[in-house]
This record gives sequence, structure tokens and C-alpha cells, in this order.
Amino acid sequence: MFLLRICMMAASSLRANLMRSILACLGVIFGVAAVVSAMAILEGSTRDAVKRFETLGADQIIVTNGNDGRRGSRSVVRLSLTESDANALGELDSVENTAPESLITAQIKYFEKNLSIQLLATNHNYTRINGYKPERGRELAKQDVTSGRKVCILGHKVAKELFGETPAIGARVRIGGLGFTVVGVMEKKGFLGMRDVDEQVIIPLTTGLTRLFGNKYVQFITIQAQDSNELESVTQEVKRKLRVEHSIRAGEPDDFRVMTKEQITQSVGGFVDIMAIVLYSIAGISLVVGGIGITNIMLVSVTERTREIGVRMAVGAKRGDILLQFLLEAGVVSVFGGGLGVLLGRGFTKILENVTVVLQTHTTSRSILLALGMAFFTGVAAGLYPAFRASRLDPVEALRHE
Amino acid sequence: MIELRQLRKHYKMGSSVVHALDGADLDIGAGEFVSLTGASGSGKSTMMHLIGCLDRPTSGSYKLDGIAVNRMSDRQLAIVRNRKIGFVFQTFNLINRTSAVDNVAVPLIYSRKTSTKAAAMAALEKVGLTKRASHKPSELSGGERQRVAIARAIVNEPKLILADEPTGNLDSRTGDQIMAIFHQLHAAGTTIVLVTHEMDVAAQAKRIIRMRDGKIVADEILDDLKRSALQAEAHAGSHALGSST
Repeated sequence: MFLLRICMMAASSLRANLMRSILACLGVIFGVAAVVSAMAILEGSTRDAVKRFETLGADQIIVTNGNDGRRGSRSVVRLSLTESDANALGELDSVENTAPESLITAQIKYFEKNLSIQLLATNHNYTRINGYKPERGRELAKQDVTSGRKVCILGHKVAKELFGETPAIGARVRIGGLGFTVVGVMEKKGFLGMRDVDEQVIIPLTTGLTRLFGNKYVQFITIQAQDSNELESVTQEVKRKLRVEHSIRAGEPDDFRVMTKEQITQSVGGFVDIMAIVLYSIAGISLVVGGIGITNIMLVSVTERTREIGVRMAVGAKRGDILLQFLLEAGVVSVFGGGLGVLLGRGFTKILENVTVVLQTHTTSRSILLALGMAFFTGVAAGLYPAFRASRLDPVEALRHE
Repeated sequence: MIELRQLRKHYKMGSSVVHALDGADLDIGAGEFVSLTGASGSGKSTMMHLIGCLDRPTSGSYKLDGIAVNRMSDRQLAIVRNRKIGFVFQTFNLINRTSAVDNVAVPLIYSRKTSTKAAAMAALEKVGLTKRASHKPSELSGGERQRVAIARAIVNEPKLILADEPTGNLDSRTGDQIMAIFHQLHAAGTTIVLVTHEMDVAAQAKRIIRMRDGKIVADEILDDLKRSALQAEAHAGSHALGSST
């Protein structure tokens, strides 16, 4: 009850100096806005990433170029995976299918229409592994890959934008300056792993590698295991097989990386953790700066209200009462700033979502409460010194103060 | 009610020591109406601060309502001020951002009363200001502000009211209204100590204590004869002042 009354007194002094209160908690406003946006971005991107990896089958293992043991030199990934690696892995008893994949950004042209697309060179297993089906026409056939045919299968969105309502099957398009025949249009799928396959065009791996990409290496190999419960042992088998294929001697590190879906999700989690530390540090610094702003204004307020403090003491306020009053006042000002900060942060993340499109944000009520709680404690901590000063005033001196 | 024995208060001002109060002995009984007068620097303010438990004496003893308060902690003094003493100041000292009734309720908050509204309104009624309860001090006249301040002083029903130049910032008519309230409170049994340098105000009390240089120099009971003599003196003084300017 007493605390409630003190809070009401604090609120009334906040109202009396509204503009100053807002200025005082400007730092807190931005600090909390930063916390709220940071949490929204982290939460949003984590959910987004998790959602995308959910689209991958639980029986998948991904092999990429590069080396687990030398993370520091990841920028100089040594290409080592080839189509024959994929074929060799496919012969393992525990492996159902393998799909070597290489991806570039390319232009697709149909008469005067021109579109930027993700060009995926792969084999006939790719659609099968991912449960990805054609809507019209057909998917890649084994012969397409072995004879390096110049055929392509369009993602749903690509077909819609290039052809609209007119039939696409049999049409001749140009991709990277090379003529292709459209043999299929895929179903609407959305994200498969990290990319939107509706914006993708599939061509036979051999055609892509020899005619467009200009090298014999593939970027990754997707493996479908026979039994999704045996992923760990399949992973070991794949590693052993690849070491043999790449003639890596005992003691030398792998020149490839093998990851299950779970491990990919974890590594995204690790990245998110680092992002979190960076974002929270920035938010924390602005809250500290905000706290200093509040300390400053509270000191001014204590000086200005010295006489009031004297009167309160004269009518029976104990030193502790005065201390509590100014502490709570700082806390209330700060929570008020925090409230404005939450609104600002929400506005900022909404704008960010609309401007960048790809960035997903998600604001939880937990993050808002956390931000307000942080604001309150920042305020109380910032109010500590001014409140202490106020409580140590001599009543006689304070009453005499002009 | 008030028992002062050899009460002293010394301040250090740079290298010299100021004897603001230099050994005062004083007894004020319950229900008395006393005025404390003297020129500025006579020690009457220091005396008021000590009686009001806002300050501690350098030496000597002070019993308020039978309890020695000169050795009390800050916390205990705050409780004494809250329960036993009501202050009225020259400049009213209201909190400008809150309404009259909220100002009156401030002492109740510090006595941890759960409901304050009824008591605050009752106190405002005693000073005839219930209609202005929701007004802020800035919307009230000087006399009304002082009445709010008096309501605040009496809201906890203290035994002692300490008024420091309560009419100093008011015109004489409004001042008379304020003095009428003090007379009412006195009639209801409250002990009143009025600090003033205005003789005609001081003359309204039943007893007058004069101070000079930190000492009590005169302490007399006022009968009607003495009172009218003092008032005549005060008027002559103000006329003399008026003619000289």
C-alpha cells in the first residue's frame, strides 16, 4: 500500500515534468528499443532457420567441401567433392540415394523476358530425396545426366513469371547464354533448406558442370540414409568412404564436412548465440548510458526539490522513505521510458521487416517483460546515488533552501 | 508539554562559533498558546527547529510530552514529528503538482495509513476548504494555501502546532482569518507555538516569549491590558514606519 502510494507520487512528479522525464530516459528508450529489436530479430531468425531446416528430411546427411579441423581458414575452402564421390557413396548399403549439387545465380531468358534465378545442377535423385514433385511435365531422368542433355525444369514461381498462363513444356529458354528445353515445371514448395526452390531452375549436373560452371567439383552432396535412426553410423561410413575416395592418409584431416540436419540446426544455433552476445552487448551499453542520463536528471531533480524534501521530512518522512521515493521515481521514469522503448523497438522491427523482406522478426511478451524489467532495474540503479543524496539532507537546511 | 533545560545550539561558521541558542530554559504546558518573538538572529528560528525535532541541541535536554527527544535517532525523530507535531510555514510549502487534498494526506502516507482520503477531507473541513479539495495550490489564493497547510499540519491530530510566521506572506485581513483558525485549534485543546516578529500577531497569544542573542529575555502572560498596550505599540510602530517613508 505504502509502495503503491509512493509509486503514485512518483508518477505525479513524472507527469509534472513530462518533457524532462522523456529527455531523461532517452537513453533508456533507445536501450530498450535496442533490446526489444535485438530479441525480435534473434527470435525471428532462429524460428525462420528452424522452420527452413524442418523442410529437410530427417534421413538426410549433407556433405560439403572444406575441413572441420581448420575452421579458421574457412574462407579458403578447398573444393574436393565430385560427381563420382556421390556415385561411390550411393553404392554404400546404408545409403538409399545421393544427389550431388552445385548452385549458381544465373539469368534465364525467354524472348524478351529476363529473370534472375538460382540455377541448380544436380542428378535425378535430388527431387526424390526431397519429396519434391513436378506439377507438369517430368523431373530429371538418369539419361538427362548421363548424356548431358540441355533440358531444364522450372521452379513454380519461375514458370509463372516467365510463361504466365501459356504452357511452358517444350519451350526453348536461354540460361547463361545456353539454350535449354523446358521439360517440367515443379510444384509450389517454398523453402527447402536455406533456399526458396520456387525461384530455382534445375538442370542436369553434367550439363551444368561442363558447359556453365567451368569446373568438375560439386558444392555439396545430399545423402538419403536407408534408416533415419542410423544417421550416426551412416555418417561414419560416409566419412570412411570419402577418405578412401580422396586418398587421404591416416592422420591427415578430412577435406570435407559431413553434417546431419540436427548438426546444421545446432550450428545455426551457435551462430545465433554469437549474434545474441553482440546484440545484447550493444543493448546493455545503451542501457548503461541511459542509466547515466537518469542519474543526471535525478540529481537535478533532488536539488530542485530540496525544499519539498525538507517539508516531507518535517511532516514525518523518514530518511528511508525519501530514499525509497526517489529510487522508485527513477524506476518509474525508467519503466515509462522502457514502455516508449518497446513501442519504438516494435516500430523499428516492423520497418526492418518491410524494408529487408528476408529478415523475419518475432516479438514475444517474454522479451517485452524482460526489457521492461531491465529498464526498471537500470532506473533503480541509476537512482541510487541521487536518492541517497536526497535522504541525507538535513531537514533544517532543506527547509531553508530557496 | 515542552520542557527545555539549558538548551544550547552552536554552529561553526568558518573559524568562529555561533551561539544560536545559548542556554534556554522553558516550560510550555499542554494547551497553551504561546508566541515566540525576537529580531532576526535572536535564535527564535533555532528554538523552533529544536522544539520541532528538526534538529538536535548541542547540549541540554528537551522533553516533549514527557519523552526525552534530544537523544533520539533520526528515525525516531521523524516518527515524533509525524505523530505529535504539525508545522505551518510562512511560505506554505505545499507540493505544487498535487491537489489540496493530496497535500493534506502527505503526513498520513508517512504514518502508513491505508485510507487517507476521509481523514484529509475532515482536516480540510476544519479549515473550511472542502470545496477546493481537488484544486492545485497554484489555483488557490495565499490564504487558501495557508489553510491547506494548516489542514496538513492537523491531519494527524498532533498535540503541538508549530507555526513559523504563518501570516508573513498574507495581507492583514487574510492573516486575521488564519489567526482565527489558530484560535479555534487552541480552543479545541491543541498547544500552539507561534514564531513571529510581528507584534500585533504575537499579541494574540496568551503568553509571549521574547528572545535576543540566543537567550530568552522576557516571558510574560498576556492579560487584556497588556495585549492592547502591545497592539497599540505595534500600530504606532507601523504608523511611524509609514510616515517616515
